[in-house]
Amino acid sequence: MKRVAFLVVLLLALQVALATTYPITVTDELGHELTLTAPPQRIVSMIPSDTETVCALAACDRLVGVDQFSDWPQQVADLPHLGSATSPDLEALVALHPDLVLTDEYSGLADRLRKLGIPVYAGTPQTYDQALAFLGTVGHLLDVETRAAVVRGTIEGQVAAVARQVAGLPVQRVFVELDATPYSVGPSSYLGTLLAKAGGATVVTAAMGEYPQVDPEFVVQRDPQVVLLMDAPYGQTVAGAESRPGWQGLTAVRDGRVITLTQPQVDLLSRAGPRMGDAVLLLARLLHPGRF
Amino acid sequence: MARALPASRLLPRRGPAPLLLSGLALAAVAALAVAVGGVHIAPGELLGALLDGVTGRLHGTTDTIVWQLRLPRVLMAATVGASLALAGAAFQGVFRNPLADPYLLGAASGAGFGASLVLVLAGSVPWLARLGVPWAAFACALATVAAVVALARQGARLPTVSLILAGVVLGSSLAAATSFLMLASRDRAAGILSWLLGSFAFSSWDGLLAMLPLALPAAALLLLAGRSLDVMQLGEEAAAQLGVPVESVKFALLGAATLATAAAVSAAGVIGFVGLVVPHAVRLAFGPAHGRLLPLSALWGALFLVLADLVARTVLAPAEIPVGIVTALVGGPFFLALLRRQQRGR
Repeated sequence: MKRVAFLVVLLLALQVALATTYPITVTDELGHELTLTAPPQRIVSMIPSDTETVCALAACDRLVGVDQFSDWPQQVADLPHLGSATSPDLEALVALHPDLVLTDEYSGLADRLRKLGIPVYAGTPQTYDQALAFLGTVGHLLDVETRAAVVRGTIEGQVAAVARQVAGLPVQRVFVELDATPYSVGPSSYLGTLLAKAGGATVVTAAMGEYPQVDPEFVVQRDPQVVLLMDAPYGQTVAGAESRPGWQGLTAVRDGRVITLTQPQVDLLSRAGPRMGDAVLLLARLLHPGRF
Repeated sequence: MARALPASRLLPRRGPAPLLLSGLALAAVAALAVAVGGVHIAPGELLGALLDGVTGRLHGTTDTIVWQLRLPRVLMAATVGASLALAGAAFQGVFRNPLADPYLLGAASGAGFGASLVLVLAGSVPWLARLGVPWAAFACALATVAAVVALARQGARLPTVSLILAGVVLGSSLAAATSFLMLASRDRAAGILSWLLGSFAFSSWDGLLAMLPLALPAAALLLLAGRSLDVMQLGEEAAAQLGVPVESVKFALLGAATLATAAAVSAAGVIGFVGLVVPHAVRLAFGPAHGRLLPLSALWGALFLVLADLVARTVLAPAEIPVGIVTALVGGPFFLALLRRQQRGR
């Protein structure tokens, strides 16, 4: 009881200490200043992981529109879908009168919105660390900083728990197939870092880059222990992969560890957002099935 | 019209020497392509692996890499290169147009559209997944060319201008549809683009065995057409007066060249430039007579693509780049240099 009381006091103290005092000015990843005079109530997110972040911070009800690929959590399905950051439905977006738009830094959408006088934050996390920091940024913008700290703590707790469990287990050599071309992921890519946290390592070397097209000879030579077929939602099958030239002798094939992923699993593993803890846990279960 | 340029003094142009030398050059490049790859294999190990295959005792990763990945890949590059260059030479001859290439009648756009359909929709449409990318590409390439021919045909005649126009227009429409598929499916854009640029990463003995029954008869028919094509360079009317059944020859050659192109594209994606540049380069170096141009185009097309694939898989090894980027980046300047040299010699 005492402990609970202590936690409540701590959270209240945190709430006061962390509360946002408006107006606030933040600088986005394009170097533009964004000033908010009050907590935004009509938010548009043009990036699926940003949508997840807003909702994880218990601000889902403040979203008025999302991009066409946002599908988590379930309740955003009912919101207006505004195309994607690269091909947005600008008229529908403007008609929603958003008081904050979250989008990426590459598509050029941010510049167009800024010229239309719409408050916009450009910059979406690409890495694990950026995603943790971004929780704080959005928490600050929306005045939900306590919640942001809790979500961040939860992710870090999940990842630390996985790290304890896989410590001492042999690191699994993993071939992640994004596409049969074959495209894969390097160790410094987002998925590469998640694999490392889950007790695995991509067979791709750092020198090959983040998302290289890999010589099939190289895959055979590195003899992966686990193959993750991220292209399974697009029709790639285990049988199809196993019948490729040279694959019959792979450890992953002999051990029956060529694994297909579903579209929701692929989304979970590709979005640097508030569900990163779940993503690491999923990978740990796939790589070390006996332990989780 | 592609005109005969003065003889180069560097290369023999008569007798069996050009064919022999070209064949030897191809063999040398193919041997190099088997020896070098994304995974380093020492010469001793390579010979051991090759011997293991000959004696039928394959074991170990090196044997697997050499026999199941590298050899079929080199042979596939050679087959595709020969088919594309041969088809290109035939198209240029039939249309008497130096800009003609194997993709002129929409085979590439058709194949690209078919492949993209499977790449995007295979997850939700099971029969597309069973069909697979190569067969979908092959079927769509043939269907596109058939549609172009049907659109351009006037009775028993196939007017060249209508053919080219129908091919270009239908090709553009299908390319637009492919672009739409790419944009509509964000995760697949990279995969579709690499396929469109061409790659031999998928090569296998099975793929090679599926291609040869199409490529070999097509090649045989095209190689026999040298004399008819020579006469047709005088113009279709003159050729008809000289006894060449122009329309039948045209149908047969376009059919065979289309078959070879569709087989090549379905095996390795849309590799540009080979079918356009190789026949020109051969013409500049060895002269325009089709009896010689056709077989030499096949040999040099094979050589060029084996070499381009070698570059594609070694320049960033063990990562790859699409081979179509190499053929355009390397082939273009090489061809321009050849052209300049010939013009200065004039």
